[in-house]
Amino acid sequence: MAQAYFFFWRLVLLTSLLSPLTASAGIIVNPDVEGHSISIASLRNIYTLRQTLWPNHQPIVVFVLPDDHPAHVAFAKEKLGLYPYRLRQTWDRMSFSGMASAPIQVKDENEMRARVRATPGAIGYTSKDMVYDGIKTLRLE
Amino acid sequence: MTASRRLGWNSLLLGSLLAVSPVRADELAGPRYQIQGFAAQGLIGSTNNRFFGDSRNGVSTKFTEAGLHGTWQALDAVRLSGQILYRRAGESDQDGLRVDYAQADWQFYQTEVSQLGLKFGKVKLPYGLYNETRDVPFTRSGILLPQSVYVDNSRDLLLAAPGAFLHGASVQEYGAFDFLLGWVRPNFDSPSVDYSFLGNTRPGKLEGKGALGARLRWDLPTDTTLMLTYANARAEYAPGSSDTLAAGKVQFRNILFTVQQRLDTVTLTAEYGEPRFDTAGFGPFLPNSHRVIQSGYLQGEWRFLPAWELMLRHDIFYRDKHDKDGHLFAAATGLPAHSMFARDTTLGLRWDTTPNLMLRAEFHHVDGTGWLPGPDNPVFLGREQRWNMWLLQAAYRF
Repeated sequence: MAQAYFFFWRLVLLTSLLSPLTASAGIIVNPDVEGHSISIASLRNIYTLRQTLWPNHQPIVVFVLPDDHPAHVAFAKEKLGLYPYRLRQTWDRMSFSGMASAPIQVKDENEMRARVRATPGAIGYTSKDMVYDGIKTLRLE
Repeated sequence: MTASRRLGWNSLLLGSLLAVSPVRADELAGPRYQIQGFAAQGLIGSTNNRFFGDSRNGVSTKFTEAGLHGTWQALDAVRLSGQILYRRAGESDQDGLRVDYAQADWQFYQTEVSQLGLKFGKVKLPYGLYNETRDVPFTRSGILLPQSVYVDNSRDLLLAAPGAFLHGASVQEYGAFDFLLGWVRPNFDSPSVDYSFLGNTRPGKLEGKGALGARLRWDLPTDTTLMLTYANARAEYAPGSSDTLAAGKVQFRNILFTVQQRLDTVTLTAEYGEPRFDTAGFGPFLPNSHRVIQSGYLQGEWRFLPAWELMLRHDIFYRDKHDKDGHLFAAATGLPAHSMFARDTTLGLRWDTTPNLMLRAEFHHVDGTGWLPGPDNPVFLGREQRWNMWLLQAAYRF
């Protein structure tokens, strides 16, 4: 099973390397978040818990899928350039020492969309770069 | 007239809506609290010496860790957090359930990518890479941390203590910076700390007087982490009844250097320090001493599959930098020289079976008894220089 997982991971990596222009994972935010795009550096700072406020000083609420969810694996590697286990290490170090709250984990993409829609300042991601009702999609710069 | 009155009502309504909406937004802005926890059980076997229970003649099951961690964002700028810990580690740690830490963090300055705050209460002490989360099995590089730097013998001293820390973080073009600077009253009063500082358990009491701690961390854009930790702690001894020791003082000072480089699935880590350790005023049975300890390790971790990790580490510890092989100590005291050093080569395997379950196996080959837990090996002359140890651990998180 670990083998299969590994192949899957490699496949994801390979696909992303071969087709860098294919729209894959989309960055979604609550409609009250200002702006239409986000830089890769900013996205990485948010997901490594270094950036905690939006430019208008609204607190950021970070949502994630489980560590082994295919959409999470793809998002972590393609958008953040980090393996899921490294993200988890950072979150554990920051949260168990009391320095930050770990991202809020949701069980699937439906819950991800629902929570981002309902939570001011929320950021999350989905496997498809699509437009959803009541959610804003951010372009990655 | 009517129109303007209506406009007036409308703007009043709009105004009150606007005034109300931040409050509603606040209520909705994600959960204000978080609970997480873990439980882990270890099995230990060893040759020649004992570690965390009677691991020599059988398999020791006396290594249990469990924790419940909570965080509450009481206000936008105030976060309360704490951890309740259960820990059993052979004869060295039988305290069971305890409050690991309980702190309030006031973030009085926040911008998009910079924060300044003050945390106080019973606070976690910053010391190297792993100390603040050393009891959370998932955050460690092995079942055991390198004993040279994270001596389990004097863990009570390093763990958490009442005090306050000023902290800050900022992301810049050339990397992310973090700092912590604070003062605490450390806990010296435990049998294993007595062992490592006074050579034995003593009838009196070592009382922490105060400690200064600081840590600078720089995460470079090249996936490199550089870190510098400074610690300076003092304690005074209050002799017990019919005590052979007088009211002496101990001092511990250290600068710990940390380097970590992450290369794709490989993580290389090194930490090195030369703790200075002084005792004075204990009378004829414990002469004044000034020792420079040498401690450090090199470690490689390789995630060869998404859920599997291999770890190789070499860890060195010399109780006296100027008497590494312990010959001077042996000549002066008649005690075995191998208690003055320990060189540990470790091979570890980690399997994250599911995101909630981790299984680990580890093998140690150790030359020396420098950090061997005293309470598990009370007969000084019964300790042997070369020994092996294997450990298995299952850890669950929620």
